[in-house]
Amino acid sequence: MGSLLSRNLRQFGMVIALAALLVFFQVRTGVALTPGNISNIIQGNAYVLILAVGMVLIIIAGHIDLSVGSVAAFVGVTVALLTQSGVPWALAVLIGLVVGIGVGAWQGFWVAAVGIPAFIVTLAGMLLFRGLNQVLGKSQTIPVPDGIIYLGTASVPEVGPNTGFNNITVLLGLLGVAALIFFEVRKRRNATRLGAPIGPVWASVLKVVLIGGVILLATYLFATAPIGRSFPIPGLILIVLVIVYAFVMARTPLGRHIYAVGGNRAAAQLTGVNVRRVNFFVLTNMGFLSAIAAIVFVGRSTSSGAYDGQGWELDAIAAVFIGGAAVSGGIGTVIASVIGGLVIAVLNNGLQLLGVQNDITQVIKGLVLLLAVALDVYNKKQGKPSIIGLVQRGMRRSAGTGETGVVDTTQPAQPAAEAPVDTSSSRQ
Amino acid sequence: MQETSADAPARTRASTGEALLEMRGITKRYSGVTALDDVSLTVRKGDIHAICGENGAGKSTLMKVLSGVEPAGTFDGEILFDGEPCRFPDIKHSENAGIAIIHQELAMIPELSVAENLFLGSEQTTRGIINWNRAYATAVQLLEQVGLREDPDVPIKSLGVGKQQLVEIAKALHKNAKLLILDEPTAALNEQDSQHLLDLILDFRDQGLTCIIISHKLNEIERVADAVTVIRDGHAIETIDVREGAVDEDRIIRAMVGRKLDSRFPEYTPDIGEPFFEVKNWTVRHPEVPERLVCDDESFFVRRGEIVGFAGLVGAGRTELARSIFGRSYGTYVSGTMSIDGREIAPKSVGEAIKEKIGYLSEDRKSLGMNLLDTIETTTVSAALHKVSRGGVINDAKSFVAAEKYRRDLRTKATSVEQGVRELSGGNQQKVVLAKWLFTEPDLLILDEPTRGIDVGAKFEIYGVVQRIAAQGKGVMLISSELPELLGLADRIYTINEGRISGVLDKSEASQESLLRLMTAQRKAA
Amino acid sequence: MMNIARRKLVTVTAAAAIGLALATSGCSQRAGSEGGASPSDSSAEKGFAADSFIGVSLPQKTSQNWEDAQSLFPQKLDELGFKNQVQFANGGVSEQQNQINALITRDAKALIVGPIDSAQLASQLSQAASQGIPVISYDRMITDTKDVDYLVTFQPQEVGKLQGQSLLEGLEAKAGHPAPYNVELFAGSPDDNNAKIFYESAMEELQPKIDDGTLVVQSGQTSFQQVATQGWKPETAQKRMDAILTANYSGATLDGVLSPNDTIARGLITSIRNAGKEVPPMTGQDSDPESIKLIAEGVQYSTVNKPTVEQVDASVKMVEALSKGETPKTNGESDNGSKKLPTQFLSPTLVTQENLCEVYEEDPVRGPIACANS
Repeated sequence: MGSLLSRNLRQFGMVIALAALLVFFQVRTGVALTPGNISNIIQGNAYVLILAVGMVLIIIAGHIDLSVGSVAAFVGVTVALLTQSGVPWALAVLIGLVVGIGVGAWQGFWVAAVGIPAFIVTLAGMLLFRGLNQVLGKSQTIPVPDGIIYLGTASVPEVGPNTGFNNITVLLGLLGVAALIFFEVRKRRNATRLGAPIGPVWASVLKVVLIGGVILLATYLFATAPIGRSFPIPGLILIVLVIVYAFVMARTPLGRHIYAVGGNRAAAQLTGVNVRRVNFFVLTNMGFLSAIAAIVFVGRSTSSGAYDGQGWELDAIAAVFIGGAAVSGGIGTVIASVIGGLVIAVLNNGLQLLGVQNDITQVIKGLVLLLAVALDVYNKKQGKPSIIGLVQRGMRRSAGTGETGVVDTTQPAQPAAEAPVDTSSSRQ
Repeated sequence: MQETSADAPARTRASTGEALLEMRGITKRYSGVTALDDVSLTVRKGDIHAICGENGAGKSTLMKVLSGVEPAGTFDGEILFDGEPCRFPDIKHSENAGIAIIHQELAMIPELSVAENLFLGSEQTTRGIINWNRAYATAVQLLEQVGLREDPDVPIKSLGVGKQQLVEIAKALHKNAKLLILDEPTAALNEQDSQHLLDLILDFRDQGLTCIIISHKLNEIERVADAVTVIRDGHAIETIDVREGAVDEDRIIRAMVGRKLDSRFPEYTPDIGEPFFEVKNWTVRHPEVPERLVCDDESFFVRRGEIVGFAGLVGAGRTELARSIFGRSYGTYVSGTMSIDGREIAPKSVGEAIKEKIGYLSEDRKSLGMNLLDTIETTTVSAALHKVSRGGVINDAKSFVAAEKYRRDLRTKATSVEQGVRELSGGNQQKVVLAKWLFTEPDLLILDEPTRGIDVGAKFEIYGVVQRIAAQGKGVMLISSELPELLGLADRIYTINEGRISGVLDKSEASQESLLRLMTAQRKAA
Repeated sequence: MMNIARRKLVTVTAAAAIGLALATSGCSQRAGSEGGASPSDSSAEKGFAADSFIGVSLPQKTSQNWEDAQSLFPQKLDELGFKNQVQFANGGVSEQQNQINALITRDAKALIVGPIDSAQLASQLSQAASQGIPVISYDRMITDTKDVDYLVTFQPQEVGKLQGQSLLEGLEAKAGHPAPYNVELFAGSPDDNNAKIFYESAMEELQPKIDDGTLVVQSGQTSFQQVATQGWKPETAQKRMDAILTANYSGATLDGVLSPNDTIARGLITSIRNAGKEVPPMTGQDSDPESIKLIAEGVQYSTVNKPTVEQVDASVKMVEALSKGETPKTNGESDNGSKKLPTQFLSPTLVTQENLCEVYEEDPVRGPIACANS
């Protein structure tokens, strides 16, 4: 997990921006960093962040999905109606997930098998599933039972002896740190065994201390929060999803294939990637995650409504692009997208705490989106790699020249002169 | 400096000796990297002036400076065109001054007609409204000047690359160009079209048009150039005036690479075994035009340790054959069988083909060969991810070690395997793509134009790699439009014409002439 | 490398700063609320300081009423010395949820909530209840939760009744021919609890006349589901009217229209004019200045006046009472599905051309328009 984090934090600048925003709002309002408020931010935006996790896969593969809000609304109303008709809530949730996967597969079919651009398929889906939501729900609000409300609003429960802390939060935090250390050690051992260059020990230690520190601080914060206000369940769902998807994207052939399809579809095909299967997967997966977002949201709203999900697709897409993904596909990471979503969420929350009117908030959010992406484009034009990339490259270089003679310093690479010129060549 | 030679060809020439273009002390830096260092270039009126140099030497940058793609002020030095000092803020201004540049990648819009492409940006209007009658008439006239007899109303995509190139030249003529710059004009053309184009350029020269031609093909330079400037590492190394002596290919190569190349092909003794890969009666339909057969009842075989050449004109069906074998990645399979070591195989997807140990290096490196967003490492392992993963999880260290091994074996010039492939030169990119296929450990490796757009030095190295693959007892299918390459490398050469194998020659009996004859010959009735 | 090292330092410092802030705030809170949350009713009895922070969360700013509320709430709350914040949720339900959370975080002592959706705020309100914050449902009733304490609203039944009656009056006065009269019916958003009540109350007046043949609905669309206008969107109503006119009124005349509010009425007027027809008697609600002008010109027949200032006043008075630890005065009860809600009902008035100037004389915005001709 630790290695994943550092490997994927390409948008290191965004992390700094996020921290700066939090500190700024804390100074201005005095309450931004209370556990209650952090919980609010996580609960109030979990659905967007969950959608961003799926959306970044779609955008990396070179597509876009406009239907996520409508699909979520459709799944939400389905689940609500099922529970209303007496189906146990857990079963209803399960059916909801299956419906989500089904809807995703339906859209995936049109994109992958028929070859209609995802933009059009999902535009159709946006209308289709919005309409179905209103037909099924008769445009009315339908309440959901406590089990689902729990998923959307509850915090990690209080279990075991009274230690003055929330025991499960403490346990999860410690497990996280343990996993971080375990994977870092294993990575170093593995690299040493195979003779691959490894960074200096201090770099690994620094990484573990930094990330571990953040985990421990968060753990402490939530473990000491008032009862019933410790780490929110939707946040837990989000963390599990982020870890799973970040891992899939960074470390499995499936992830590589998604990047390959978005980076150069024709080349991917001639490298043995089953492009259709990848397209089908990303859209089906989006349906699945839309369903999860829907359940978390109807839980938080205690009911499904006719306007659920309106504009969500745009929130999710904005998060992904603030997280540094490229419109043309091939670039982006799960973690950066979630951080991008958090930047917007924290900004939103902070401005609300400051009492800034909604209309002004929208103006600010629009400018932030534009600025973040402009900065990214500017950096790419300057040929500057991401800061994390620099750090890692620097580490390997120092290790490489010393131990394995990796770097051929006598032969300078192709002058960078010709590189920036064809930035857009051969993108499909 | 200049050598004089007795057998200088006596050509009719329009050159007056007066300079049309003078570039003095051009220095251009990109964020710290010096791409051009004090380069001076003088082009005489009515000359064909060739510029050669390895990829990344700075040829293209020099032309960008000249045409205003790099605006005045972003570089040092001065440009005199037709005696006037010029400071072009953009390409529009250089065009107005009479400089037309024709890029390697054609700037045609495929769906538009020939006439529409011809007048794109300079539409034939009467009071702001396009006058199609005038456009049509002017188009016919312009096309005639470049020897094209095509209907200006047909979509440009229906024309071959060679003809599109001619349309591009016609477009330049329409803009009353005084100086025509051709960047690798024959790179994508077959032998015949190349000859035609070069003849045309010579004609224009005789009519007084000045040309700058950037080319890797030294035999072409030898044929048409009046002067040759060699650029290496951002310096103008040498300008050879042909009037004072014949250009000698070896001399140009020496200037380009800064050393002498003893041979264009590495020393190599083939060790050829038994036939192991056999294709019989291979028939494939065109993907969009079902009545057209792109492969028509073709049969051939490859022996272990053998490099088998495939010669043919562009469009003869060589790439189509290769890709249809490679997991049916082109066209619609109709009939035919394929076998490895006598075992019949029928890979229906690229993935299956890779499993059957077939590899295919595509002709178009940038758009089909790799993902330009990848690093050397990710590209190298991309076709065989299972080799660096366990339990469906990629092992970063393993993948690094594998990529590093191939980087060293192929001597890819890069700062590390984590460098992005976009930043590499063409030759090094090709080595990375080659590494990708070598990493799949294929028994049969199909190489489609493996040295297209690559400079002399890198070519030599890639030839060596190809020979090493064969020496390991694998089979190589080598598709190339450069006949000398086939003759120098292949042990046996098939010729293909119109989707049919029209003949096969052993290395000992093959020559440019015999190959050309077979490439244009009809297959004998079976 | 120096640069990178420096950047890392910045992050470490930032992380440490956050951590410290979290730690100090986090620790005390758990201890503080260990005793458990107090139910809202009891805390309301205790009262709160007269300079406390009061949060006002309102739905989308779709009509003049809400614009008025935006300026009236701060004005009235300021007068009493309360710190306050009015927020509009133009981004939809989830935005309103987040805003209410933010208001609670800012330690609001009372919340005035005009919900976008009557049933989707329960979890935020339960958070408010757990911290003892009383909640006043403003204008629209918050349903299906116990965590709401009071309701301030114009009696919706009364609004509907006035609309129904005025349509009948208008028909008799303006149709210029004896019954039967052709009418078409429009209602508000199906997810707005009030919209249904408006319509049902109006139909109590109209249904007998439909049954006896005095009124004829040519389109046959009379159920709430059929006549509802999703999201109160005038363009939606306008499109429906376009379709009805094309399908049913190419030969017939349209004698009257039941419109649930002024913005929809204006959409319908546009539709009728585009079809080249005379605008028949048309009802409304909300006293939009635009519509007052139309009434003065005799285009729109009537509107129902629900002065925002009265509604704001009543809500603020409740807050004042709560702050003193008193039980706010109410004049009725409403059933929200979970509990009986003490309610302050306000009475709407019907406005037509006749009493136009009289009603709005005092109003700074509407007065000049209403009295321009008299």
